[in-house]
Amino acid sequence: MSVENLKAYIESGVLELYVLGDLSPEEALQVEEMASQHPEVRDEIAAIEQAMEQYAMQNAVEPSADVETRLFEKLGLSEVEENVNVQPEPIYTEEPRIIRLDGSDAKVRTLRYALVACIALLVVSTAALFITYNKLNAAHDQIASLNLDKQKFAGVVSKLEFENQGLDNMAAMADSKEWATIRMAGQAFSPSAKMKVYWNKKDKSVLINYVAMDLPKTDAAHQYQLWALVNGKPVSLGVFGKTDSANNEALVKMQAIQEAQAFAVTIEPMGGSVNPTMDKLTVMGGV
Amino acid sequence: MTALKKITLTEPELVQALQSKDPAVLKTLYSMYSPALYGVISRIITHTELAEDVLQETFVKIWQSAAHYDNTKGRLFTWMMNIARNLSIDKLRSKDFKNSLKNQDIENNVSFVDEQNKVTFNPDILGVKQLVENLKPDLQAVLDLVYYKGFTHVEAAEKLDLPLGTVKTRIRLAIIELRRNFN
Repeated sequence: MSVENLKAYIESGVLELYVLGDLSPEEALQVEEMASQHPEVRDEIAAIEQAMEQYAMQNAVEPSADVETRLFEKLGLSEVEENVNVQPEPIYTEEPRIIRLDGSDAKVRTLRYALVACIALLVVSTAALFITYNKLNAAHDQIASLNLDKQKFAGVVSKLEFENQGLDNMAAMADSKEWATIRMAGQAFSPSAKMKVYWNKKDKSVLINYVAMDLPKTDAAHQYQLWALVNGKPVSLGVFGKTDSANNEALVKMQAIQEAQAFAVTIEPMGGSVNPTMDKLTVMGGV
Repeated sequence: MTALKKITLTEPELVQALQSKDPAVLKTLYSMYSPALYGVISRIITHTELAEDVLQETFVKIWQSAAHYDNTKGRLFTWMMNIARNLSIDKLRSKDFKNSLKNQDIENNVSFVDEQNKVTFNPDILGVKQLVENLKPDLQAVLDLVYYKGFTHVEAAEKLDLPLGTVKTRIRLAIIELRRNFN
């Protein structure tokens, strides 16, 4: 290659691109061949390299100190002391081991423990929740059965109170001389039935006591009707409901009657009848 | 590491120790060249954390492929610088880098895009240095693109809308200018 051609080659800028790593492998190979043949090219490349190196040095930026620490940890060289003497000992003949940074390892381990702890906590919580739920269900059942018991007892108590009231009244009336007790016995329609009527001799009022009656059951469409027989004629003294009616009062006041020879009860349609239905005469008794 | 602790070796000594995989030499190499290499990397990658990652990767690669370095083909620093530049440019085009951009707020992004598109010299980053003031803006623009932005001279020609020959000439003139400053 002539001197002119060599000068033109150097001045083409290809050597700068070579140093900047901006050539294809083939182009780079050509430059290297030229450099091996022509000292001028080699010197030019060296000068360019030195310029770029100086340029880089002038524009140096100090990286943070932990980059070096991380680098040597990554390469597994962290314990190596800085040593100017070149030691030919083949301590690290193998490929450098890549070990993970201790920091991240510890973090992963911590996170793993945390995860295990979370799962354990979740299991315990779930178990506790399950036990509590079962206990709550049992408590609900208990409350329900206690409620049932309470209702039962309340029913018994109200029944006892009802009967007690009736018995009290009966006792009071038996003591007093004002009251006449008329026993009515079962008739052909209901031979086993019986009932008492209380008639006040003074004011002629008539009372019946639910405790002191045993009448055949009626349906929803029928009621009992109390009659007084006055000189052979029946006079209605009013109707009353079933013995187990909602009425809390054991004593019921019926219509007063001035005089009567006998009392009787018949079963009549709801609201009562003008004349007694004689074939449904349940009880009757004379004064 | 302070400047006082810095140790320097001649290049042949460094190369020999490096190729015999002497761990001590890596410390020396790091203290000698990490600022210069980081200067190159941090101009290409403005994100500090990523730039430091690339610096670390650069030294890992220098350590692992020391055997491939051929001193007849050029200086050790040129070889190391090209490793640093190539890793930086790879990072710049990688998913990692694009993801890190997504995490920045809009304001940062705007300034980042500005920086990416800037071809003129940025004195904030390079520092006010006499040698650089001597470089003509035309030459600086080309050198900046090729040296710091990872452009090939072909890409730089497109970017600056200049003929390929002009770009090559300007790179050469820029480096000659630098050489004159150092000599």
